[in-house]
This record gives sequence, structure tokens and C-alpha cells, in this order.
Amino acid sequence: MSALPQTAGREITFRDAIRDALFEELGRDPSVFLIGEDLRDPWGGAYKTTVNISAVYGNDRVINTPIAEESIVGAALGAALSGLRPVAELQYLDFVMRAMDAVVNQVAKVRYMSGGQAKVPLVIRAQGGGGRSSAAQHGNSLESWLCHVPGLFIAHPSTPYDAKGLLKTAIRLDDPVFFIEHKMLYMNKGYVPDGDYTIPFGVADIKRRGTDVTIVANSRMVLYALEAAELLAAEGISAEVIDPRTLVPLDEATILESVAKTNRLVVVNEGVERCGWAAEVAAMVQKRAFSDLDAPIERVCTRNVPLPFQPDLENYVLPSVPDIVTAAKTALYFN
Amino acid sequence: MHQARWIDFYRTMTRIRAFERTAREVYTAGKLPGFLHLSIGQEAISTGACAALRADDYMASTHRGHGDTIAKGVSIEGAMAELFGRVTGSCRAKGGSMHIADFSQGILGANGIIAAGVPIAVGAALSSKLRKTDQVALAFFGDGATGSGPLHEGMNMSMLWQLPMIFVRQNNRYAESTPLVEHTGIVDVVQWACGYGMPGIRVDGNDVVEVYDTVNTAVERARMGGGPTFIDCETYRHYGHNIGDPGTARPKDEVEAWKARDPLERHRERILENHIATEAELDTIDAEEQARMDAAVAAAEAAPKPELHEALEGLYVDEQLGKQALQGVRQ
Ligand SMILES: Cc1ncc(C[n+]2csc(CCOP(=O)(O)OP(=O)(O)O)c2C)c(N)n1
Ligand SMILES: [Mg+2]
Repeated sequence: MSALPQTAGREITFRDAIRDALFEELGRDPSVFLIGEDLRDPWGGAYKTTVNISAVYGNDRVINTPIAEESIVGAALGAALSGLRPVAELQYLDFVMRAMDAVVNQVAKVRYMSGGQAKVPLVIRAQGGGGRSSAAQHGNSLESWLCHVPGLFIAHPSTPYDAKGLLKTAIRLDDPVFFIEHKMLYMNKGYVPDGDYTIPFGVADIKRRGTDVTIVANSRMVLYALEAAELLAAEGISAEVIDPRTLVPLDEATILESVAKTNRLVVVNEGVERCGWAAEVAAMVQKRAFSDLDAPIERVCTRNVPLPFQPDLENYVLPSVPDIVTAAKTALYFN
Repeated sequence: MHQARWIDFYRTMTRIRAFERTAREVYTAGKLPGFLHLSIGQEAISTGACAALRADDYMASTHRGHGDTIAKGVSIEGAMAELFGRVTGSCRAKGGSMHIADFSQGILGANGIIAAGVPIAVGAALSSKLRKTDQVALAFFGDGATGSGPLHEGMNMSMLWQLPMIFVRQNNRYAESTPLVEHTGIVDVVQWACGYGMPGIRVDGNDVVEVYDTVNTAVERARMGGGPTFIDCETYRHYGHNIGDPGTARPKDEVEAWKARDPLERHRERILENHIATEAELDTIDAEEQARMDAAVAAAEAAPKPELHEALEGLYVDEQLGKQALQGVRQ
């Protein structure tokens, strides 16, 4: 792991990191409020990321809505345009499809379309990803769709530390941020320092140093990449694992520096492969660092089908640790 | 009049309850993956409404769709195997609990997306009008779904085009954790239906006969070209929102009061009071339905899981183009 602040801290879950960031930002800035379905206590959100927040700050700071995603995002935008700093929650990332006009045509464009008049200090949070047999409508990884929208920043953290620091930054930015939390990460624990800290957008974190092959991965796939790196190490292959933490803006420099050293690149993304974020990273690297590459860039993504319900099929369709190991070896001409 | 059907109603309600109780047991035993939203306590709506439909009528359901799909005629064995993720499942293990569908029975699918079934049912109603058949379409949706755009768009469209559509609201007073008064601006949403210009009726959703009679009238009207109807059925789910929810978000006395109005027990009592069947006859139905579930579980457990290559099949009708479309670096 990268250098962490030398302050005292403790191990907390990813879920608590999110919850604490929300709680602390509500306390720091009275214009921040939460809006979404089932957020209030005692329920505290579909994934329990808002537990014990309305109980402390009251129902005016934590708004439960009807099941109306387009209006959740649209209303959050209206509130952002009129002096508040909403943090909207969409429960499952899959439900953003109900809100796509608000996200794409309204939130992302209003500043530009209005000639820079508007400021949109808005965060949209959603829980995405597969791994729980939640089938085709509750397990999508749609970050690539969102990356395609000019006007949004996209954060997609892999650790509790990153999640808390990035969410605080997201809330304090004056631009709209789509903040994606992977459903399989919530119970993972990690070190988080006491007190306030933020993590800048557009700065990757090198999660493991290595010299033979670069693996760029996001969200849960970072953990898969680290597992793969461990397996590769046992075979004498040294993999460097880079977590961009924000997909937009992307820290191209860190990726390019690593590729200049390893000359091999594997990009791992849980989204469906076709037209996905991994292709974007690959295109960027082949353009900027063509002469650094000693092998074609490998991609490991979800196969081009909807997520099937049955667990074995789901695992087969999603990227796996062995898939990453294989891709790394392919990039090293081991296969 | 239709007392002869009361026994059928009893059997269907018993079947749904047995299915879901069994599903709950096997889920708790760790045998089922994924989500499980139980409709126990709401069987009278599924049963009464679907009993008013013909086999060739259409029905769209929700995430809480076991009861609706069973009442409309999905195979018990297929539905159970689907929960188990077996290749013999009604959706070949691709869908699971939230996506049970059987198009041969007019079941347009359970649905993981709130209110998404409504426009689909509206489209089926439009289709039967365009094709000049007398089929009708019925959409189930929850009280929470009533605040969703597609429901309102569907009400307006079906009124505008005078479609053979029946809107059936399964009003169990909660959307996940959020109580009715916190997600809907008025208590009596029947007024909304009237605002759209269609008849709106509120019924005791725990009374299978009342549900049947009301839906039946709406279906007859729709079949004759009389347009859509909105029916608000008041009910309650006995368990939590889904299997992971202990159900503690709701006041205990409220839960108990509603359990005392259990639709299945009420119907059973009514049958006995009216001497339509004896206790022993009803017990036999109970035993038969439970035995069927036990057999369905055994069959599902014995059935094979799908093979991995099936994950890459069944996406497109056109095999050749589909294969091409699926190509990727990991093939
Ligand atoms: C578009 C969309 N938003 C949110 C959800 C998450 N969700 C699943 S069930 C549910 C509550 C539904 O309440 P209601 O319509 O009353 O149906 P009930 O669960 O009570 O049967 C919610 C919010 C979803 N599945 N789809
Ligand atoms: Mg409800």
C-alpha cells in the first residue's frame, strides 16, 4: 500500500468509511444534505451507509424520497443550483438508468450550456458491481457509461481509506461527482486515520510496486489485481498494481510512468468489455507510450452478456483472479 | 355464486404460501443464492386478481413476484428450480427469484426494477387492441411504485388509448423501510386514478373474494372496450422487505394486527362457515400443496446446474450475429 498519513487511526469497514465521511461533512457544512430512498434511521440506507445520521442531524438533513430516481437527481440538481450541496443516493447503480436524463442532460451539462454561470456542487452515490447473484438488474458496473459523459467526475474507490478521503473531496468540490461504491467491498476493513483528511481527484495510488508488468484496475478489481500479483510473485513475476481511484479525471502520468518501467500493461475493469473503460486506458497508453510497450495491452473485463443469476455462471462472466494472472502472463509471453 | 371457485382460491393461496415458506426455509439453510422477497400475507391479491384473468391474458409483476407468477400459472417445479439456480428453472437459472417469467402463461415477468412492469403491461394491452383480440393486461405494483413515473405515464397512456388494462396496487404500506405517509402525498391514491379519468376502487386486499370480484368486473369492462381500471388493494407483508431484513422497521403491534387479518386464514374460516368444504378437505389441500413443494425442492436439488457455456448463450435470437456480437478478448 501507498504511504499513509502517520497519524493515529483505526481499522474500519468500507461502509463505515462512507458513513463517517457523510456524517462529518454534514457536521462541517450546514448546506450539505442527503437525499434518496430509505436513508433515514433506523433503516439507514439499503446498504446501511447512512446509519445513525438522521437520528443525529434530523430529517431535514436526510431526506427520504419516493421511488423516483429521475426526480431524486433532478431535485438534487435544483438544490445544488440554489445554494445547497446535496449528496444524492441511488441505491443500486443499476437504477441510474431511471435517472439518466437528469444525470447526463441536466447535471453534467448545465454549467457548460449556461456559459459557465452555474455551479453544481452535487454528489451522486450509488452501489454497483456483481458477485452476489443479484442477476441482470442489480449487479451492473456502469462506470464506463458515466465516464462517457463530459461534465462528470467519477470516483470509484477500492479501500476504506480512499473511500472516505475521496467522498469528502467529492462533497467539497463545486462540480458534480458520480461516486460508485462496490457492493462487495462494504464489509472490507482497512486503516483510516482519525480526524479530517481528503484525497485529491486525479491522483492514482500505486497499491503494489513491481517491475515486470503493470496492472491498472479500479474498485473491487484492485483487490483482485493484488491477489493476482501475489500469485504472480510466487512464480517470480513482479506486478505493479495501480488504482487510479478516480476514473475521471484519470492520472495518466502514473500509469505511463509505470508502463515505461514494465513495458507491459493489463487493464482490469468489471464493466462489460465492449466500449469499456479498459479500452479507453489501453487507447491512451498505446498512443502516449507506444514505444514503451513490449506486448499488446491485455484487457480483463466482464464478458459481453448481462449478468446471469446462477453463481457459477456469474463468476464465469465476471473477471476473476486467474483471468488476471493469465492476462499478465500473456503480456509477458509466458503463455 | 362463484363459491365453487372458493376452493380454487384456497388452493392457490395455499400453494403460494407453501412455496414461499419452503423457499424461506431452504434459503435460511443456505441453499439459495441471490435475493428473496416474500409475499406471504399478500396472497389474496395475486390469487384473486389472476383468477379473474384468462390463460391468454397478460400479467406483469414485481420484485415480490412469486405469488403473482404462481397465481398466473408458472410451473411450481420451474419456479423452485429457478430459485435454486438449476438448468430446469423457468429461466434456465439466468433470472432467479426477481425475474421469474413464463411467456407461455402470459407472464411478462417479475421485475427487479420498480414500476418497470407497468409500461410493459400497457404495451401488451395496446397490442391486444391493435391485434383486435379481447385479451387484457394486468400490472401489479407496490405502494412505493405508485410514486414512480412509469406508473403515471402508463395510467395516462392507457386512458388516452382506452386500453384493456388493469392496474393492481399491492399496497402493503411500506416501500422497503419507508412508510406510506413518507413516500406518497395523499393517502387515498384512488383519487389519482380518478384524476386520470379511470375508475379507481379501493378494496380489502386480504379478502380474496373481494379482490376477485373487483378485478373481474374491471376485466369484463376492459374486454368490452371500456378502458382501464385502477384497484388499490390494502394488505401487509408478514416478513421483512427481503430475506435479509428482520422486519423490525415496522411497529410490532402493527405487524401483529395485520397478521391477525391473515388472508389465508380468513378465507379458510369463510369456507368452513359457509360449509363449502370440511376442515379435513382443506387439510388435505394443505398437505398436497406442501408435498408438491417438497417434491419440487427435491427435484431442483437433483437437477443439474447450467454449464458454463450457457452463460454465453441465449442473448440474441440470431445465432450467427449473436456470436459475433459476443466476441471479446476473453472468449
Ligand atoms: C427503479 C428502482 N428503484 C429502487 C429500487 C429498490 N427497491 C426495491 S423494492 C423497493 C421498495 C418497493 O416498494 P413497493 O413498491 O411498495 O413494493 P413492496 O416491496 O412493498 O412489495 C425499492 C426501493 C428498485 N428495485 N428499482
Ligand atoms: Mg410496498
